[in-house]
Amino acid sequence: MRSWCIRGVCALGAPLVPLVPLALAAQSPTPLRIESFTLPNGLRVHLAEDHSAQVVAVNVWYDVGSRNERPGRTGFAHLFEHMMFQGSANVAKAAHGQFIERAGGMLNGSTQPDRTNYYNVLPSNRLNLALWLEADRMRSLAVTAENLKNQQEAVKEERRLRFDNQPYTGAFVDSLPTMFDATNCFAYAHSIIGSMDDLNAATVEDVKAFFDLYYAPNNATLVIAGDFDPALARRLVGEYFGGIARGPSPPPAECTPQQATGRRAARRITDANATLPAVIVAYRTVPPAHADHPALELLSMILGDGESSRLNRTLVRDAKVAVTAQALYNPFGPMRGAGIFGVLAIANQGIDPDTLQLRLTREVQGAANAITSEELVKAKNVWRARTIFARQQALEVSEAVHYAAMYLGGPDAVNSDASRYEAVTLSDLRRVARNYLAPDNSLTLLVVPEGR
Amino acid sequence: MVCSMRRLAVAATLPLILAATELAAQFPTSPPAPLRLEPAPFPPFTDTTFASGLRLIVVTNPKQPVISVTLAVPAGSYVDPLGRSGLAELAAGLMTKGAGTRTAEQIAATMEGVGGSISAAAGSDFLTVESAVLLNDRQLAFEMLADVVLRPTFDNGELELLRKQTLSALALERSQPEAIASRAFARALYGDHAYGRRADETSVGAITRDDLVNFHATHVQPSQALLVVAGAIEAPEALALATATFGAWSGRSPTLPVGRPAPQRARTEILLVHRPGSVQSNIVVGNTTWMPNDARGYALTVANQVLGGGSDSRLFTILREQKGWTYGAYSGVTRGRQMGSFSATAEVRTEVTDSALVEMLSLMRQMGAGGVAAEEIERQKLTLTGRFPLLTETAAQVASQVANARLLGLPTDYVQTYRQRLAAVTREQVMTAARAGIRADAALVVVVGDGTKLAAPLAAIAPVMMVDIEGKPLVAGDLVAKAVTLDLDFARLAPAADSFTVMVQGQPFGFQLTSLEREGDGWRSRERTSLGPIIQQQTEVRMGADLAMRAIRQTGTFQGNEMKLDVTYANGKASGEGMTPGAGGRMQPVKYVDVDAPAGTIDDNSLQALIPFFKWAPDARFTVQVFASGKGVLEQRTLRVLGSEAVTVPLGTITAYRVEYAGGDAPGTYWVEAARPHRVLKFGPAGAPLEFVRVR
Repeated sequence: MRSWCIRGVCALGAPLVPLVPLALAAQSPTPLRIESFTLPNGLRVHLAEDHSAQVVAVNVWYDVGSRNERPGRTGFAHLFEHMMFQGSANVAKAAHGQFIERAGGMLNGSTQPDRTNYYNVLPSNRLNLALWLEADRMRSLAVTAENLKNQQEAVKEERRLRFDNQPYTGAFVDSLPTMFDATNCFAYAHSIIGSMDDLNAATVEDVKAFFDLYYAPNNATLVIAGDFDPALARRLVGEYFGGIARGPSPPPAECTPQQATGRRAARRITDANATLPAVIVAYRTVPPAHADHPALELLSMILGDGESSRLNRTLVRDAKVAVTAQALYNPFGPMRGAGIFGVLAIANQGIDPDTLQLRLTREVQGAANAITSEELVKAKNVWRARTIFARQQALEVSEAVHYAAMYLGGPDAVNSDASRYEAVTLSDLRRVARNYLAPDNSLTLLVVPEGR
Repeated sequence: MVCSMRRLAVAATLPLILAATELAAQFPTSPPAPLRLEPAPFPPFTDTTFASGLRLIVVTNPKQPVISVTLAVPAGSYVDPLGRSGLAELAAGLMTKGAGTRTAEQIAATMEGVGGSISAAAGSDFLTVESAVLLNDRQLAFEMLADVVLRPTFDNGELELLRKQTLSALALERSQPEAIASRAFARALYGDHAYGRRADETSVGAITRDDLVNFHATHVQPSQALLVVAGAIEAPEALALATATFGAWSGRSPTLPVGRPAPQRARTEILLVHRPGSVQSNIVVGNTTWMPNDARGYALTVANQVLGGGSDSRLFTILREQKGWTYGAYSGVTRGRQMGSFSATAEVRTEVTDSALVEMLSLMRQMGAGGVAAEEIERQKLTLTGRFPLLTETAAQVASQVANARLLGLPTDYVQTYRQRLAAVTREQVMTAARAGIRADAALVVVVGDGTKLAAPLAAIAPVMMVDIEGKPLVAGDLVAKAVTLDLDFARLAPAADSFTVMVQGQPFGFQLTSLEREGDGWRSRERTSLGPIIQQQTEVRMGADLAMRAIRQTGTFQGNEMKLDVTYANGKASGEGMTPGAGGRMQPVKYVDVDAPAGTIDDNSLQALIPFFKWAPDARFTVQVFASGKGVLEQRTLRVLGSEAVTVPLGTITAYRVEYAGGDAPGTYWVEAARPHRVLKFGPAGAPLEFVRVR
C-alpha cells in the first residue's frame, strides 16, 4: 500500500497533475482472452482467465431448451432442469447446493427456448468442487419415479403461483408463442413452462430418454471464467468429464424462420385475474447473429426501456391512456431461429383495448421517423454501460462467452459484439422499423378482464 | 494451525489427482479437497489526507472501464437532534433531489443518459453518497457527487413529497410485526443511547427546511469525511479529480453528540409487545457487544455463523428443519461505530412461542459452554472465508469493504488480512467470544404477539414486561374483552351511498362503492371494491337499530384466489368461517367459534360506512373497538384529527379534517368533510401509492 501526504497543497485547490483529457472514443468492454478446446467425447470448453478477484464461475450450457420439445411433452426441458438438482451417483439429493453453499459459493439453473444453463460461482480454490459436481450429474443423474413425481408437483405449483394466478402473465406466456406457426415451427410456438396436461404426462422413460439424448457431453458447453490456472483447469476437465461417453447427435429443432409472412393476427383473451385491459403487440424479427439485431434491440430500448422512453412519455405521461407501457425484446430468451420485438401496455381506467391498441401501434410504427440522434446516443450509452458493468463479475463473463458461442457463431464474438451496436445509425433504426414493425408481421393480443 | 492442516490435505490430494488422470475411467466418488488458496491479492489502494481532513482512498482495478465514487461522512441518524429523528435520512434522500443548478429530474435524466447512477442513504453512523459510471464519464461523476454533497438545494416541494412517503412508510411499519419488533428491540436495547431512537410521525412531521440546511452545514464537513474512488483509474488522476471537485471544501469539525451508555442487564428480561389476535410471534433475542475494533470480533463472527448465520446453521436447522416451528430463524452481529450488537430472530406460531424461545436461549448458551465441536467450527469458517472473494469481486464491492473498515477505525491491514484472521480463529476463542458476546442469561428478549396467549407461558422463562404497540405499559386486566360505548351521533344515522375512484399515481385504477341502508328494524352496510388486478370484493354487514352486529358476509377474489367470509354475532360472541388472505398474500382458511365481541364492538368492515356519524370536531380523537372478522380477533382502531385543510375532489374543493386512521393491518389517512354530513372525501392507505377519491 502506497501513501503520500499532500497537506497544504490541496488546501489551495490546485491539482497536483493536470486533468487527463477525456478520451473521445466510445468506451468498450475490456477484451476477454478466450482459450477453447474440445474433449474427444465432444464437450466444448471455453476458458476466460482473469485474476483480478479470487472468484471462479463454472457454467454449463446444454444445447437444449423448450424448442427441442415435441407436441404432448411441452414444459419438459424446464421439468428436466429441476431433475438436475435431485442427486446423482455420488451426490445426494439437494447436496449439490449444500456443497456449494458450504464453500461460500452460489448456484442456480434456468431454462430458455434454446438452452438450459447450470452455474456455480465459488472462491477460486474450489474450482475442482464445481467441476466434479457438474461432471457427476452429467454422467450419472438419478432419474427415479419418486424424484420425477416430486418435481412434477413442484413445477405445477410454480406454474400456478407464477403464471396462472398472476394477471396478464398466463395470457402472455401461453399466447405470445402463437405468433409462430405451430406447423412450421413448433419449436417456438409453445411456452417454456408447458401445459399442466403435458407436465402430468411425463414418464420416467421420457426423462431417461431426454437425458441420454440432450445431456451428453457432445451437446454441452462448459465455460470457466475468472481466477484459475488454465493448465489445472484442462487437467481437471479431462479427469472429470473425459470418461463420460459421447451420446447420439440430437435431431435439429424444427423451425422454418418466418419473418414478414404477410400474416396479421389478433386474439382476444379473457383473463380472470386482470381488472384492466392490456394490449401486447409482437413482431417477428431475427436471431441475434443477424445484422439487423443490434438496431432492433436499440430501437426496443428507445421505445420502451426506462422512465424517459417513448412509450412511457407518450402513452403514460402525456396521453394517459395507459398505466404502464414497455418494450420486451426476446422476453423468453434469445433464439437461433427467430426473434420477438414485443410491446406491452396496460389500459388506463375507461380506455378500451381497441383504442389502446391503435395508440400503441401508431406509436411503435411511427417512432422510427420521430427518433432523434440524442435518443440513439442515450440507448447506446445505456447498452454499453450495462454490458461493461456486468463484465466485472465472473458469472456474467461466463454467460457472455456462452451467449457469443451459442448465438453469435463463436466465443470470440464476445469481444466484437459491442462494435455492432456502436455502428447503428438513425437510418438503420428507420430501416429495421420499416422492415419488421409492420402490421402484416405482427400478433396482437387483447387481454380483457373476465366479465366485460 | 489451520493453515498447516489444509496444506497437508492438499499435499495428500495431489498424488491422487495425478493418479486419477492416468486412470480416467475412475471417477472420484467423493468431492475433491479444496485446492491451495493463494494469499488474497487484495487490490492495492492508496490513502491520502487533504488539509481539510478529507481522506481519499483510491482502489485501482483496471479490469473494466468503470468507476465508482463514494463519499461518506459520520452524519448518520445518531446525530439527529432530540425530537428530529429521521433528519439524517430525509437529508440524504433529498441530496439527490436537487443540487447545484440541477433539479431532481435533471439529475436523474443526466445519470440515466450515460447509463450511470447516483444515490444517497443514511444509516445509524454514516451518510453515504455513491455514483457509478463508465470511465469516460468520470468527470461527470465527480462533479455530480460534489454538487449533491456540497450544494444540495433542499427544495421545499421535494421535501414535502419525501415527507409524505416517509410518513406513509412509518404508518405501514406499525402494521408489520417484524418492523414493530425491530423498533422495540432497538429502543429497549440501547435505551437513551442515540442508536435506540427511531424516526416517528411526530419527529418527521416536525422537520423543517431550516433543520435540513443546519444539519447539512453542521455535519456534512470534510474533517471526518471519506472519499473512495474505485475502478480503472490511477491514483494521481483520481487525486486530481478529487482536488478539482472537493479540494476547496473546508469547514469546522462538528461537535458530535456524546453517546449515553446503553442499559446493562444482569438477567434476561422479556418485553412483550401485545399485538391482539396475532397468530404468530416475532422473537428477537440479543445484547450489545463491543467497539468495532475489539479483537474478539473475528471469533464472534464465527460463533454467529455456527449459531445462525445461514440456512446451514443451528437455529435454522433445529427450529425449522427439526422442529418445524418456523420458516426461518437466523442470527446476526452489527458493528456500530460506538457499540456493536448480537441478535437472533425467529417468526413462529403463537402456540410454540415459549418452546422456541427456550430453544433459542439454549442454543445461544451452548455457544459459550463448549457445545460446539471443532469440526463444525472449521466447516463454518470455510463458508465465511469462501464467501469473502464473492463479496469483493467488483471495484465498487472492494471500495465498500475498504470504506467500512476505514470508517469504523479498524486497523489499516484489516481488509487484506480478514480471511487469514478468520481462518486462524480457534474453538477456545469462539467459546470465549460467545460467552461475552452472546449472553443468553443477560439478554433482552422482544416478543411481538398476542399478549393474552403469551404473557403466562413467557413469564415462566423470564420476567415479562408487557406494552402495547406504542410502547405504553399494559397489565393483564387491560387484555380482557370489555363492553364499550359506541359513541356515535345516532340521531343523524341515515341511508347514504358513496362512490370512490381508486387512483394509482394519479391514474384511475379501480373503484369502491359503499352504502348504508335500512333493513327491517336495523341497518345494512354494503361495500364493493375493485382494485386493479389485486382485489375484487363485496361485503354486507347486518346490524341492529343500535348498530349491534348481527352478521357479515364477504365474497371476492384476491390476486386471483377466491376468498369468502361468513360471520354471525350473538350474545357478545362471534363465530365465523372462510378463506382470507394471510401473511404474504397467501390464502388461509379461517374458522372460529364464540370469540368475545362484547357490546359496543363493530365489525371492521362497517367502520368506513359509519365514519360520517362520529362526533367530528377540530381536535376529535375516537377509539373504536372493532372485531377484525377476517382474523377473528378483537382490536382497537383510532381515528384522530390532525388538522383541517381544503381538499379538491370531483365534487369540488371542500374543507376537510385530515384524520389519522391507525391500529389495524391497513392504516392510512382519511379526509372527512368538516361540515355535516361529514362525508368521507378521500382515503390514502399508508405505504401504498393508492388514493380512494370520492366521486359522488
